[in-house]
Amino acid sequence: MRSLDRKLLRDLWRLKWQMMAIALLIACGVSVAVMSFSAQRALAGAQAAFYADTRFADVFAQAKRAPLSRVHELTRIEGVTTADGRILDVGLMDVPGLARPAMVRLISLPDDEGRALNRIRLSRGRMPDPRQTDEAVVLKTFMDAAGVKLGDRLTAVVQGRAFTFTVVGAVLSPEYVYVPAPESFMPDDAHQAVLWAPRPTVERAAGMSGTFNAVALKLAPGASTAAVLADVDRILAPYGGRAAYARKDQASHAFLAAELKELSTSASILPPIFLIIAAALVHLTVSRLVDAEREQIGLLKAFGYRDSEAARPYLRMAIAIGLVGAIAGGLVGGTLAAAIVDQYRDYFRFPVLAVRFHWLAFGGASAVAVAATVAGSLAAVRRAAALSPAVAMQPLRPATYRAGLLDRLVRGAAIDQATRVIVRNLERFPVRSLLATLGLAASLTLLVGTQFLFDSLDKVVDQAYYRTQRWSEAISFAEPRSIASLGETLRLPGVLAAEPVRTVAARLQANGREELTRIVGLEPDGRLDRPLDARDRRVPFKGRGLVVSEALADRLGLEAGDEVRVEVIDGRGPAAVLPVSGLARDYSGFAAYMDRRRLNVLMGEGDLVGGAHLQLAADRRSSFYRAIERTPQIVGASSRDETVASWRQAMAEAFRVTVSFYVGFAGAIAFGVAYNTSRIALSERARDLATLRVLGFGEGECAYILVGELAVLALVAIPLGVLGGQALAHGLVAAYSRDEVRLPAIIGQRSYGISLLAYLAAVIVAGGLVARRIWSFDLVAVLKTRD
Amino acid sequence: MTDAALDVRDLGKVYSTSAGDVHALRGVDLEIVSGETLVLLGPSGSGKSTLLNILGGLDRATSGSARFQDQELTRATDQELTRYRRASVGFIFQFFNLVPSLTARENVALITEIARDPMSPEEALARVGLSDRMDHFPAQLSGGQQQRVAVARAIAKRPQLLFCDEPTGSLDSESGVQVLEAIAEVTRDVGATTMIVSHNADIAGMADRIIRFRDGRITEIERNGKKLAPREMSW
Repeated sequence: MRSLDRKLLRDLWRLKWQMMAIALLIACGVSVAVMSFSAQRALAGAQAAFYADTRFADVFAQAKRAPLSRVHELTRIEGVTTADGRILDVGLMDVPGLARPAMVRLISLPDDEGRALNRIRLSRGRMPDPRQTDEAVVLKTFMDAAGVKLGDRLTAVVQGRAFTFTVVGAVLSPEYVYVPAPESFMPDDAHQAVLWAPRPTVERAAGMSGTFNAVALKLAPGASTAAVLADVDRILAPYGGRAAYARKDQASHAFLAAELKELSTSASILPPIFLIIAAALVHLTVSRLVDAEREQIGLLKAFGYRDSEAARPYLRMAIAIGLVGAIAGGLVGGTLAAAIVDQYRDYFRFPVLAVRFHWLAFGGASAVAVAATVAGSLAAVRRAAALSPAVAMQPLRPATYRAGLLDRLVRGAAIDQATRVIVRNLERFPVRSLLATLGLAASLTLLVGTQFLFDSLDKVVDQAYYRTQRWSEAISFAEPRSIASLGETLRLPGVLAAEPVRTVAARLQANGREELTRIVGLEPDGRLDRPLDARDRRVPFKGRGLVVSEALADRLGLEAGDEVRVEVIDGRGPAAVLPVSGLARDYSGFAAYMDRRRLNVLMGEGDLVGGAHLQLAADRRSSFYRAIERTPQIVGASSRDETVASWRQAMAEAFRVTVSFYVGFAGAIAFGVAYNTSRIALSERARDLATLRVLGFGEGECAYILVGELAVLALVAIPLGVLGGQALAHGLVAAYSRDEVRLPAIIGQRSYGISLLAYLAAVIVAGGLVARRIWSFDLVAVLKTRD
Repeated sequence: MTDAALDVRDLGKVYSTSAGDVHALRGVDLEIVSGETLVLLGPSGSGKSTLLNILGGLDRATSGSARFQDQELTRATDQELTRYRRASVGFIFQFFNLVPSLTARENVALITEIARDPMSPEEALARVGLSDRMDHFPAQLSGGQQQRVAVARAIAKRPQLLFCDEPTGSLDSESGVQVLEAIAEVTRDVGATTMIVSHNADIAGMADRIIRFRDGRITEIERNGKKLAPREMSW
């Protein structure tokens, strides 16, 4: 080994903690890239394979009842290669062990498996015997969550008819990779049953012989989805067709697509932050090293080493830091990817979801990381190369200080000399002070900007389930019924109050834009569900005016007072231009609200209701559920408390992992920056401080001078970090908001508190580790050494 | 002896190194009278600096005793030694050891802020002839001026003991003379007991007693019958 290499190794060893603090940041950056890309590829790969294997459809549509002969007509639409008509009916099902009945989707199996779309894949058991009329296969997700086993006999009530069947198989379906519950976008797997049975069995259960009410279509490559949607709507219109939609609007697919997008967001936001800070630290550290070793550099040159040879060790040092960080990041990233994909298995049901290390992401991130450390070292390396041997061999003159702006500010104040030293050092090295402050602020930014997720969720839950919607249970009817039926609902056991609701699907058009949404008809003086504005005040209904959710208004470019064209998709499909009478703030879904009676007038129908919002006596819940299972008209039931509980649990789990990553990452940044800043200050000031120790200063007084500078920087960084955190929170809200939920950028005091505590803890630990060295100063050595 | 500033008995110091034990001091006995000026001479490694370090509260003896008034320095804790240096000892270093970010006045104030009954920084700097350089930073001062700031810093707290380790070692002779003059004048004014360690035998002329070291032992203590002012010494 050459002497210079040996020197490099020893320098690395001597500065190991500083180097490791920087490598830690690089490791964070590389690990996020490796984790995100590995997880993304695992999900995307599983999705692509499953979709291809099961021939997942491109277009979906529903109708009330269409003759099977129409399927052939759908196949003839230009660009359509296959159309698969099925019966899909909904109902409720009592499941032993569950208090609330599960909602059931009963779907007919295709007659011709070869031409079928959205095929199911058997996970356990067998497919139903076509000769048997009481066998069905069931979505595995539901079976696992509800504790249903092969061979169990269950009874679902569909269209008022009881359908009793034996569970013969557990299956996975591309349409139900992720199953969001109604009124929520979180899974409620135990209450979301999907059954598949042979067509004759379903025809009998639903009373729909020779017809279909759901269709899936496969398109040829390059076909125009919009044109196909229009044709499908036209063909199905006479049969109560509801707006056809493309794969991107299919609930399961949309959720998966949003998750894939989020992984890209993480991979593009975080790593650059880490690498930029690491580069800044490399710059500070290597610069200091070149200053400290200028005599050695001069000596090497005096002995005949070329400029490049004398400077190269510093470049190699930067490369070494980058490589060590990248390798550690690869190891951690691979582990994290496995952990996060493990978590995905709870949400996304694929036959195979395997994670493989993303070598390309690792290679790319590592190359960028090394490039960042090299870039950070370049100024110092160039300085080492440019040092003239003669200059280098002369001792460094005492650094030139002068009274600066800060100094003049504090001049009037009675300020002690130790504090003056701190102020002057900050002024003497403005670039370093600035870099350190920005680095510290970045860590706080990351903390504040991610802790907010919890506050934000609390706000969403509070707004959605306790302010706007104040019902405890909601039921929906198979078909709209007369308002008189509300009397029956009120007589159900435990019902304290009931308010009718009518919901229709509609297209809203304004400013050349269009959104498919639902219009919720509510009672003008209702107490259980009322749209609220940004200040939590009720938005009143005015005549036939629509109250539009802010997010939807935003998409359509609407403001209160504007007009919007409404095309109802349900019923006879009336269309009208309605005024927007107000905007409502809500955080999930897109909806428009109007007076229920006005909605019925628009529909050209009588005083109808599609369901009801209820207030239930808590102790009568189980008798209420037993009663609605026997009520054929009721096909949907949701409970606020259960929804909120499952929401919180799922979100808390998902965010705990994410937020712990962020807290760890932010801690790494704060620690890395604080440790390196103090370590550099110590190496520059060790002699001054030891002199002060000789002159009678205590360890604590010296520590004050050493870490006082860090303390000032850390304090200055706080307002910057808080502002940055607010900006990041807004950025993340924009990046992470989906149609299903929009997170408000709300940062609570608790989040600020936790963020500041974590930040200060990291800074204090780092400062303390460095200050500790003051206690082991060799006071004798300082008398003899020249700086 | 009641007016002994320092009383050293059978003082020993052994450094353990990988090559074996090094005896830096071997049974040193010395009584230092309040107000006197000692010059310690001897080749490198003879033990003079080790004695200075132990008496200055920077290092601990391995054996024997060293007393300052009623305080046994060899058994003092780190905190007690810090208090001792803070209250009673002034130091002057070979390489000045000024804080580069503070002006001359502020370097002195650094010490007067933590001392009991100090003189003002301005007064201390006036005594070393630097009234016109008080707001200069170290980088703006010559070596001799920097060392005179260090002298002002050392005596501003009116120390009972003043330890100087090669105070002229990195100065030209004219600057050296100025520094020694400053030391001589101000120690006389504040009545400090002064110990100067040097390689340079010529500065022995300003001593009351000259202590010669070799191999960790005092080989000779010579009383200087004719004390000279620094400018009268030849070097």
